[in-house]
Amino acid sequence: MSDGTDDKPFTPANPTCIIATGGNPYLPRPAVVKRIVEENPTVRTLELALADEIDNAHFTYLPGQFLMLSLPHCGEAPFTFSSSPTRSGSFALTIRRAGLLTTAVHALQRGDTVCVRGPYGRPFPLEELAGSDLLFVAGGIGMAPLRSLLAYCLAHRSRYGTVTVLYGCRQPGEFCFQQELQQWRDDRAIHLLCTVDQGDPAWQGRVGLVTSLLDEIEVNPGRLKALVCGPGIMIRFVIGHLQELGLPAGSIITTLERQMKCGIGLCGHCHFDDKLICADGPVFLGSELPNLERL
Amino acid sequence: MHRTLILQKDHLLPLLRKLRKDNRVIAPVRNRFGDTFFTEIEDFDNAAIDLDQQPQTSLKSFFLPQSETLCRYVTGKHPESGALEYSFHAQVPVRTPTVYFGVRSCDLFAVMYTDLVFRRARERDIYYDRRRSDAVFISIGCARPFADCFCNATRSGPFLDMGFDLQLTDLGDRWFVQIGRPRGVRLIEEWPAFFTLASEADRKAQFQVELEARGLFRRHVHVDLAVKLLQEQPDHAAVFAELSRRCQDCGGCAYICPTCICFNIADLRLDEDGGERVRTWDACTFAGFTRMTGDCNPVDGETGRVRKRFLHKLLHDVQKHGRPSCVGCGRCVNMCFGGVDIIRCIEMLAAEGENGSGGRW
Amino acid sequence: MTFGSGAMTNSIAEIGEAQVILVSGSNTTETHPQIARRIYEGVDRGARLIVIDPRRTRLARHAHIHLQIRPGTDIPLLNGMMRCILDENLVDDLFVEMRTENFLALRDMLYRVDIAQCATLCGVDEEQLRLAARSYARAQRSVICYCLGVTQHVCGTANVRSYANLAMLTGHVEQEFTGVDPLRGQSNVQGACDMGALPGVLSGYQPVSDPSVRARFERAWRVELPTTPGLTVLDMTHGDGSSDDAGVRALYVMGENPALSDPDLGRVRATLAGLDFLVVADLFLTETARLADVVFPAASFAEKSGTITNSERRVQLMRQAIDPVGSSWPDHRIIIELSRRLGYAMNYQSPAEIMEEICMLTPIYGGMYHDRLDNGEGLQWPCPDRRHGSTQYLHKYSFTRGRGRFEPAGHVPPAEAAEEEFPYILVTGRVYHQYHTGTMTRRSDLANREYSRPLIEVHPDDARKLHLRSGLAARVVSRRGSCVFTVRVSERVAAGHLFATFHFAEAPVNLLTGSASDPVARCPEYKVCAVRIEREA
Repeated sequence: MSDGTDDKPFTPANPTCIIATGGNPYLPRPAVVKRIVEENPTVRTLELALADEIDNAHFTYLPGQFLMLSLPHCGEAPFTFSSSPTRSGSFALTIRRAGLLTTAVHALQRGDTVCVRGPYGRPFPLEELAGSDLLFVAGGIGMAPLRSLLAYCLAHRSRYGTVTVLYGCRQPGEFCFQQELQQWRDDRAIHLLCTVDQGDPAWQGRVGLVTSLLDEIEVNPGRLKALVCGPGIMIRFVIGHLQELGLPAGSIITTLERQMKCGIGLCGHCHFDDKLICADGPVFLGSELPNLERL
Repeated sequence: MHRTLILQKDHLLPLLRKLRKDNRVIAPVRNRFGDTFFTEIEDFDNAAIDLDQQPQTSLKSFFLPQSETLCRYVTGKHPESGALEYSFHAQVPVRTPTVYFGVRSCDLFAVMYTDLVFRRARERDIYYDRRRSDAVFISIGCARPFADCFCNATRSGPFLDMGFDLQLTDLGDRWFVQIGRPRGVRLIEEWPAFFTLASEADRKAQFQVELEARGLFRRHVHVDLAVKLLQEQPDHAAVFAELSRRCQDCGGCAYICPTCICFNIADLRLDEDGGERVRTWDACTFAGFTRMTGDCNPVDGETGRVRKRFLHKLLHDVQKHGRPSCVGCGRCVNMCFGGVDIIRCIEMLAAEGENGSGGRW
Repeated sequence: MTFGSGAMTNSIAEIGEAQVILVSGSNTTETHPQIARRIYEGVDRGARLIVIDPRRTRLARHAHIHLQIRPGTDIPLLNGMMRCILDENLVDDLFVEMRTENFLALRDMLYRVDIAQCATLCGVDEEQLRLAARSYARAQRSVICYCLGVTQHVCGTANVRSYANLAMLTGHVEQEFTGVDPLRGQSNVQGACDMGALPGVLSGYQPVSDPSVRARFERAWRVELPTTPGLTVLDMTHGDGSSDDAGVRALYVMGENPALSDPDLGRVRATLAGLDFLVVADLFLTETARLADVVFPAASFAEKSGTITNSERRVQLMRQAIDPVGSSWPDHRIIIELSRRLGYAMNYQSPAEIMEEICMLTPIYGGMYHDRLDNGEGLQWPCPDRRHGSTQYLHKYSFTRGRGRFEPAGHVPPAEAAEEEFPYILVTGRVYHQYHTGTMTRRSDLANREYSRPLIEVHPDDARKLHLRSGLAARVVSRRGSCVFTVRVSERVAAGHLFATFHFAEAPVNLLTGSASDPVARCPEYKVCAVRIEREA
């Protein structure tokens, strides 16, 4: 277990520092690939450090925030941190191969340079989570931002009540952070339930949608905060289900994905009714989402 | 200092010529094909400044160019380790003091709106900021609205109370000058010989022109009603379905609109070793505007896109900034091949509000 | 041709004033948005819109009558409509009497036509067919717009003649707001045809076979001209690549990309590869340019001055806006220099000087001098001399060839029919965000983002049968080749039909299409090709 043991003082109130770019928010800074973890055949985690050591030493972020990652000739795209800020010296992005840029990510090797700018966006409300039972509900690659928060919370385990993780994937081969999750479960730090949409002969676990796991756990609406991330349709059904179980919308926290070009609330691509996902989010309370149909 | 002055019409060109010494001067100029655009004037003797027609495009491209290089990037392999090397180098516009002359109220109001977006964000867009910081606006109150104008309904004209450095009103043989922001004061102080104090009669004449202008609008567009109807119920499925049926997906409405400032950023590969990161205008009526990898699109279908565009203008910006972001310039009316313009949208919403149905037009 | 000239008889603005607009084989909103705008205007004013198209295009959604015919059945449809017009006494007898010839042949042919049979053959409702015929014939001002869906068939010429027959039968030509309007595709394709970029004519459609025409050009150019027509593009690109005397040995390609745009690409590529010498002038290194021995970097429209002629015969002056990028030259400069080195010195100082020669040698362009075109809107041909103004619509008092001639036509089945091994009919076409072989648009990030992949449209019923979903890869196979597309399930195509575009080099649809072509115009049958489609792993 690499995260969480480092008990460096951490103050969430400290405003996140934006990489020094001479005041130009569009200028990305080089970052070097320090380590690559192949999570599964289509997902890998990049551990990065800013090439400039002073920048890197000052670089802070919070769970739920994202970076704009550039690769040569591929443009840039937003990725949320999958690492916990409690771990210093580097940060991690967990990326599924899907399009042009992410395919290039999968060709990267240790020592290669990429470019990043950020961090951007509203992080998870860390202060408000303290003292609550936590329920993480992740679908597929949606585990990446939740893992950042999970690692952060486990680094300050005493601040929280029970921690339950529900994790659904389409197929057994798609789970990420497996060793780490199992380690946490074995340490009794978390209660972990996994499910797949479609099993295979080797799969011994549950088969079914992640929403079905919600019926297996105990929900104490007064104490619980739910953190949900995954495909839009999954978020919608999980929020609906949690509300049926009596959880108020304000206790459900989710993080949304959109096409983004600037990351700083200007380009308009991530407009969602009167909100901008990049600046007003990507983390939202269920009560702030006006329209679940269009998630 | 007196806030109202007179500038003789004969003295306008000489004044602009003086301003040209330390500034770029941008004004509506009619080109040889009869089209009027905001153009930088270098040769005052051979430029036809045209204050009789609406410039075909707004000032948008002067602050947010249709295409601009934000950065250059270089890439390659480290000669020894073979590791990928990659770095960016910003290309920031040089600051150039610029006087924008002959700006209509709607277009100036649009600049104030884009300021709201670009200058109130968490981080300043230095590209916009640099172009914007050194701008002086000499606007013209519209004594005669053009055919599709409805700035009276969007409260962004025909005359403004703020935002301009100087606002001119045509009083026949002379311009009535109102001073707005500090740069206007400085301009007057620098070139006092061009201005005389306005008399009470001048002020009355100006008031009269402004009053009459308000009565000359040919279009009566119920913007407030549309906003109210959308606030009550944002769906209006029939209206947006009918509008989107005619949309040809060209993006012209967004490109011509002075307040449509959504943009795209993409890498332009010049060769193996590098390229440019280029920002271009974009349009929310394009499917690719919101499409994500894997063909997932949170705003799917042409109805959803057309709806998003009009709701942004008439509802979401009201929620965010307290007023619709349409400035009533009417340019989209002539631009759209399918007639999917904001006036049509507002009229259909109003008609639906009246009859309870959208119907075909 | 039937009227005697190949261009839009109307002006674009007139379409908005018509009472009935019949659009055939044209995806107008995507390929001619400016004309679609006039059609919308017309419909808003109360015009009836009849769309004849195998696809449910965006425009078809606005149509009062959409005749969703089987590809390649225009002639039986029109014969059925004309029979209906004959039966219901809607023929414009006076017009037919005064201005046309050969009516009896048409009439006799129509008497043998059975409307119900036609409707069945076309796959449309008989009543709709009759309704369309009545609407078109009864209105005072009816206009026909057609595009490549009519011409890109083995019977393309006969298709066009049948539309002309329909217009003449009802007297809907030679007046304002009526006529037969081919919508020309690429910018200046009309101009290229006007300038004689056709095998049988010199500029202004003057036949090379006419000795007096030849004499005039020979005097101007001081050379002897060949007396027989040259080769069509298909003849050039579909040779056998052998080195016999008849074959083409060298080719100079300007701004075309036959290695992607021509049918039966396998053959085209073999022909190009078999040439002794290939020269390509283009903006970018196209698929064709990659095969070339010599590539001339050519300047784009913005980097040169000259004229462009649009669909409505309007010759417009375009001025150079920027300096040529890199080492590119305007085409005329490349040709002049090439000619000089080949031993024939051309001496033109400017495009205006070239235009003066065009005016001198081309009656329909007789008055099109650059100084006159500099009026903001250009001039519409015919414009025989400096005193002559613009010609808004053609055939005002008589057809170019005198009387309009009825050319009765019978159904010509497409070269390929659906059969057991190839049970689907593939129709090819274009989309809004890409232009032709993508030489330019695929380099635009935004245009490419909007339509980035080769898609194939499949009707939901067929998709169900074939277990295809949107987003899946599917292989389409014809007798000549195969390509892989991404499936888009869509009701825009009818069941049994597929639609794909030719914009994408990664799925060159013309590997599939055949080189069967119209015997007169030699326009290939891009619109009908028998294929099968299967899911690709």
